[in-house]
Amino acid sequence: MRSTIAGLPRACTAILFARISASTRTRLGIVFITAAAVLFPLVNGNDADIDAAANALAFAALALGLNIVVGFAGLLDLGYAAFFAIGAYAYGVASSWQLQPEWSGFWEPSRWLDLVARYHQASGDVVHFQVSFWLMLPLAAAIAAFFGVLFGAPTLRLKGDYLAIVTLGFGEIVPIVARNTPTVTNGAMGLNGVAAPQFFGFDFGVDATPYYYVGVALVAFLILMSVRLKESRVGRAWMAIREDEIAAAAMGIDRVRFKLLAFAIGAAFAGATGTLYVAKLQTATPEMFMFPVSVMVLVMIVFGGIGSVWGVVVGALVLQILQSWFLEDLSQWLHALGRLLSVDWLQHVELASSIELIFGFILVLMMLYRREGLIPATRRAPGLSLVEQTAQVARGGFARLPALIAPDGRAGGPLLEVADLTVRFGGLVALRSVELSVPAQRVVAVIGPNGSGKSTLFNAVTGLLPVHSGSIRFAGQEIGRLRPHAVLERGIARTFQNIRLFPNLTVLENVMIGMHARLGTGPVGALLRLPANRREEELAREQALEILSLFGNRLLPRADHLAGSLSYANRRRTEIARALASQPKLLLLDEPTAGMNPAETLELADQIQSLSRRGLTVLLIEHKLDVVVSLADKVVVLDHGEKIAEGPPAVVRQDEEVIRAYLGRSAAFA
Amino acid sequence: MSDYGVLLQQVVNGLSLGAMYALLALGFTLVYGILELINFAHFNVFMVSSFVGMWALGLLGLSGQGQVLTGLALAGTLLFAFAVTMLAAGVLGVAIERLSLRPLRGVRGTAAMITTIGVSYILFNIILLTVGAGSQNYPNPLPVVRWQLGEVTVELKELLIWGVAVVLMVALHLFVSRTRLGKAMRATAQDAEAARMMGVDVDRVIVTAFFLGSALAGAAALIFGLYYNYTSFIIGYTAGLRAFTAAVLGGIGSIPGAMVGGVLIGLIETLGGQLIAVRWTDVIIFSILVLVLVFVPTGLLGRAAPTKS
Repeated sequence: MRSTIAGLPRACTAILFARISASTRTRLGIVFITAAAVLFPLVNGNDADIDAAANALAFAALALGLNIVVGFAGLLDLGYAAFFAIGAYAYGVASSWQLQPEWSGFWEPSRWLDLVARYHQASGDVVHFQVSFWLMLPLAAAIAAFFGVLFGAPTLRLKGDYLAIVTLGFGEIVPIVARNTPTVTNGAMGLNGVAAPQFFGFDFGVDATPYYYVGVALVAFLILMSVRLKESRVGRAWMAIREDEIAAAAMGIDRVRFKLLAFAIGAAFAGATGTLYVAKLQTATPEMFMFPVSVMVLVMIVFGGIGSVWGVVVGALVLQILQSWFLEDLSQWLHALGRLLSVDWLQHVELASSIELIFGFILVLMMLYRREGLIPATRRAPGLSLVEQTAQVARGGFARLPALIAPDGRAGGPLLEVADLTVRFGGLVALRSVELSVPAQRVVAVIGPNGSGKSTLFNAVTGLLPVHSGSIRFAGQEIGRLRPHAVLERGIARTFQNIRLFPNLTVLENVMIGMHARLGTGPVGALLRLPANRREEELAREQALEILSLFGNRLLPRADHLAGSLSYANRRRTEIARALASQPKLLLLDEPTAGMNPAETLELADQIQSLSRRGLTVLLIEHKLDVVVSLADKVVVLDHGEKIAEGPPAVVRQDEEVIRAYLGRSAAFA
Repeated sequence: MSDYGVLLQQVVNGLSLGAMYALLALGFTLVYGILELINFAHFNVFMVSSFVGMWALGLLGLSGQGQVLTGLALAGTLLFAFAVTMLAAGVLGVAIERLSLRPLRGVRGTAAMITTIGVSYILFNIILLTVGAGSQNYPNPLPVVRWQLGEVTVELKELLIWGVAVVLMVALHLFVSRTRLGKAMRATAQDAEAARMMGVDVDRVIVTAFFLGSALAGAAALIFGLYYNYTSFIIGYTAGLRAFTAAVLGGIGSIPGAMVGGVLIGLIETLGGQLIAVRWTDVIIFSILVLVLVFVPTGLLGRAAPTKS
């Protein structure tokens, strides 16, 4: 009964909104929010309130930037305030009296551009920096991005948690450097007399309202950027790295490049915000950018919803406005309550001074009880109808393969040639001088007992493990030293024995990440959404759906479900679909039928067969010998890292050594 | 005093700081070795422990006014203070693990690390709000005894610090290498899954790592107070970052590495302060952290690189 009543308002709104399409609803929402933001200072004339709102907007902009780093790319940055500081000091120094070098001809061009002025002094003319706020906004973003790359580059190769500590240290030293270089920053005293922005002759001065409007515009722009980046090839690459770095690399994503990109864009957001913030305050001291600021921004995105664009904006605004508008009132109410109940300590609670304690509790409690935040980044997909859930085992392989799967290449010639391959883990030799040749358009199976080096072979071929010696040639070219993403670009896609999907992304997104290497949209394209980028994205989506439809009712109705919610067999299928999406010439399948029942196994075997008939070369690891016999043109047997047999399945099956090593001695006497 | 003598004196000072950083670094390394988690709460477990130590000494009637004890009274007082502080710190570490980290076991990504930051922040602010922002005079029962060895002065408190550090590290080494639980710890650090299958109670191992690591932080905290004669809510941040750098420098996950790294960081701090300038110490240590991570990510005595395959 209770749930019915609680559901009532939702049902009413559902009826009201049923006639309006989703996109119109979004648009209406945006119009409403924009109108509210624009009208707020006109309705509320209180300068202190507008000032608080302007500060809250600056923090919303910071939260959006940190969200790109932490939320999208999954890199914990604990020194984010450092980039805020860099942006702030950049504008502060470029528009104040702090630096006054002697005037010389060198400065003349800058004077024409109105970046500096010549200022007459008794002791000689000096340069006065007066770079425009509007120019500094993008420039400070670029400077902060440069520092992001500078500090990200050495550390982004390391595990994510090391980045956390390095950024913590970075956040610590930037204020120290600011304090220790008084000639540039005026040290602990802080920069003073930073010029207020001007807009066509109108001086912003100290009134909060113009800053508020710049803040609204900045936040609106950054929201647009975040949304567009998130829903693009770039955003998918970031989220893939966040979900599973190794799988992301194997699907063609250059990890270092995209992590750096996230770091740089996150830093750029902070740089621009720093400029706005310091212009508003007209002063900058090292204390404004210490560790608590980094933590506060982190709390905002954790509270709002890590990875959720609207969530982090709401998180930032709520926490900031809570601090400046309500905390005092709340304390008063608690005092009143304390007097009412005659509880002594309640009468002395000062929430404003314990805000950081509250932040600490927010971090811990959100992590323990609501990790997805106030507004989760992913929406739950609707349940499936009975029809959609029905799936019959079909035989005969894929009915019609999309045009996408059309590998070129001559049949018969070797596509992959492994020669004298040795892989070591410290003292352990995992593969010893292995020779292997995979003819184009054929199916080759690798079998062998557990620990014989089968998956190591796959990892070496796909660049996930360093090759100790030997060569791996693909389509005539050496690939043994390539990084994983470059191997995929050459045309080798794989699945993993223990399934490495991106669990918190949808099935469709997983498959579209498989297309990463074939698509070209970069950050600029994602931002501008040019017709070419739109076309590419639409085509990619269509192709991904087409690939999903190969598996009939099993994946297509679940396209918008999270990959982590799929059944085991469907996860295996999604992984194959993701690999196919990269349009490979060679497909490496690591135990594709593991965990499937006999009927599903046969179905998948037929499907692999039909891929091979289409011209796709397949190298697979498989334990089910009937599958191997029915599929493979050639079988390679590994034992203790060495190849012990090779040949057609029927021949290998009779090989004495294979029987001894793999099937077991008892089978030899059977 | 000659320049050489000054440097030698700074080496002595550096060894004392190094002993403290080594004890603190062990806590990072023990937890990281088993959970692969950077425990930011450790920063402020250290800080809180220094206050516990202060209150423990206060219980014995010592305040920050310089009452000096000698003989058995001194030994008993110090024993009591170390025991209480280490026990309290250990219990705090275990409580943090049980309440905030165990529910997150198996959750991927940054959740556990963010939680430790939250816990650290809570501890920090509890002390700030209850004790206040000013620094507190630390009760110090140690008589000021100095020995002049050539150009170098060695103080009694320094001998005490070295002695405590050596005893604790030897005890830890014996525990890890000789006991059943120590063996379970080493097994879990190498492969938690395999250890679990072999019947190791991994939760117990984790609790032990938190208890031992935090207890050592407690000892480091008391050393901090006795060495500097003050404590404050702010000390965890700098000391923690330096100790973490020590753990990375020695090779995170490696117990001897943490000891060596700690001593090196102590020496770098005092010699760097002498040769360059104290106000740049943090920048120097941070640069070392970054350089080590880039060029020797395994650290000096580490087993495995912290890079992903």
